[in-house]
Amino acid sequence: MNRMIVFTVAALVAGGAVAEEMAKLELQLPAPQFAGTPKTIKTPNLEREAVVPEIMVPAGTANVAAGKPVTSSDDFPVIGELEYLTDSDKEGSDGSYIELGPELQWVQIDLGEAKTLYAIALWHYHAQARAYRDVIIQVSDDAGFAGNVQTLFNNDHDNSSGLGAGKDKEYIETYMGKLIDAKGAKGRYVRLYSNGSTGSDMNHYIEVEVFGK
Amino acid sequence: MEMNRNRFMQAAAAGTLLAALRARAEENAVLAARKDPDQLNIALIGAGAQGRILTESCLRIPGIRFVAVCDIWSYSQRYAERYLKKYGHDVAVYENYQEMLANEKGKLDAVLVASPDWMHAEHANACLEAGLHVYCEKEMSNSLEKAASMVRTARATGRLLQIGHQRRSNPRYIHAIEKLIHEEALLGRVTHATAQWNRAKTEDLGWPDQYEIDAATLDKYGYDSMTQFRNWRWYKKYGGGPIVDLGSHQIDLFEWVWGVNPSSVIASGGIDYYPHHEWYDNVLCIYEYETPAGMARAFYETLTTTGHRGFSEAFRGENGTIEIAEVPQRGNAVLREAHAPDWMPYVERGLLKAVSAPIQQSSTRNVAVDVRVTAEAGKWPLPIELAKPAHQPHLENFFNAIRYGTPLNCPGESGYETAVSVLAVNRAVATNQKIEFNPSDFHV
Repeated sequence: MNRMIVFTVAALVAGGAVAEEMAKLELQLPAPQFAGTPKTIKTPNLEREAVVPEIMVPAGTANVAAGKPVTSSDDFPVIGELEYLTDSDKEGSDGSYIELGPELQWVQIDLGEAKTLYAIALWHYHAQARAYRDVIIQVSDDAGFAGNVQTLFNNDHDNSSGLGAGKDKEYIETYMGKLIDAKGAKGRYVRLYSNGSTGSDMNHYIEVEVFGK
Repeated sequence: MEMNRNRFMQAAAAGTLLAALRARAEENAVLAARKDPDQLNIALIGAGAQGRILTESCLRIPGIRFVAVCDIWSYSQRYAERYLKKYGHDVAVYENYQEMLANEKGKLDAVLVASPDWMHAEHANACLEAGLHVYCEKEMSNSLEKAASMVRTARATGRLLQIGHQRRSNPRYIHAIEKLIHEEALLGRVTHATAQWNRAKTEDLGWPDQYEIDAATLDKYGYDSMTQFRNWRWYKKYGGGPIVDLGSHQIDLFEWVWGVNPSSVIASGGIDYYPHHEWYDNVLCIYEYETPAGMARAFYETLTTTGHRGFSEAFRGENGTIEIAEVPQRGNAVLREAHAPDWMPYVERGLLKAVSAPIQQSSTRNVAVDVRVTAEAGKWPLPIELAKPAHQPHLENFFNAIRYGTPLNCPGESGYETAVSVLAVNRAVATNQKIEFNPSDFHV
């Protein structure tokens, strides 16, 4: 269960200012689990310092991805199941992560209906320090992402994915995951891309949380 | 201290022989990069964490084709089969290695053994006797008797046995030890070495519920429980604890640097943090080496409750110290003592870089300097990079030995010598006594 610290602030809604309860989103974190021999992290677009954004969300915001169906570009995962992405298990051990094949791969969560999104939290893999490449997160009303696509995060600095270059930085995976401000984007489908990491050619996911209402 | 001359001559002769046998890193890389090499068909026994690391490296080497995989755990079977499928390798999957050898040995050239330590000898010996070359992960075994049997079987069958001390094929380590220390005598007399491998505290490994091995199958393969199967490194029946899992890689380097086996070891350690484990969770030890230049000592520590200082090695000589680690960010430079001869000629010859200049006299002007403290040595980075996974050059050396007859960088005999040195630490802790080695201890 994620915690929200509730504040009351003025929020603009149609027609004027009304008081709306806002809450600081705080993630429920798994146990740290670095193990084994670290690998060299050598990548040109790495952030200098990890910064966790402070994201305020309206009261009633919840993880609308919990238990929702997941599809993928890889229908033959190396290990794990697509359901792991939305099963609320964020541990880093075997049985908690799915491993997809090499090169650019995507996973997609169907929220069931269009939602207003405030934040996305993502854990690729946290048993080893590594940085995933071409991490791109998009939202759309179209299951095929052919139209009305909003990009919430993109660290593909050289457009190696062919989806357009982004200005976000690569980051080192830890048990703290990656928290991204969705800034009120609306959509039914959330798609996440990656293209291997500094630790492996493969693509991994432990959990994706989508906070909205 | 007066040296035992006979002991030294025997050990030095063995060390010189091994140095002569060791393939040069450049030759290794050139041979490994040849186009259209003969295809080598291989199998993997033990598809756990270490088996996956070897698999990943093998897939980057031209002409290597996986034919079969064997593991008693269905989780690892699925992982290996599907992982290899992603790269176009369709493999036969086995739970039982004897069945694998019976069905596949006619198709195979070599086998990678990455099973738990206590099964290395059984697996490696069976493969060698089936006429196959073997790359076996270190430690050779948690039993010296079993490790010796591997050396004897390799000799009897004439097959190759490479032990997975992968630093021996790493061009950065070859440059540091063979070029700078041995050939150039950059450090002068190397009097000491220190190394450590420390890890933060961690929970025992678990397993997915749907992949739990039933009790009958565990018993069939000799495991007392799923917990022990997953955490075998902590139990005496199956492994040797952190000093073996981690220390072996680095203690192996001491023998490489000095060219002799240790003459003694003292150690302290205990089961102090993880009371449910059987092996020592912290070990600190000191080896003595009777080198041609005189006595040398090496300190080693492995801690599993703090990751402070991580893993690295330092070879300390009268003229400088080489700080090195398998991950270059943790160590990749030579520290020059202020009185050492000029090192710029080494830079001009491409043997060192001179990025971080030694402290100059003028840099201390107006700064209060404690005259009792020696000025910090300047760091001279090593010029060699390894743009491959750390295990790949050692595997390349193994495959080059099969294809072209190049010498192995860590044949069974060398792996055995290191096993003798390392396994003695656990005995030293258990008995609280100094272990004295005889030169004959290191030879099969």
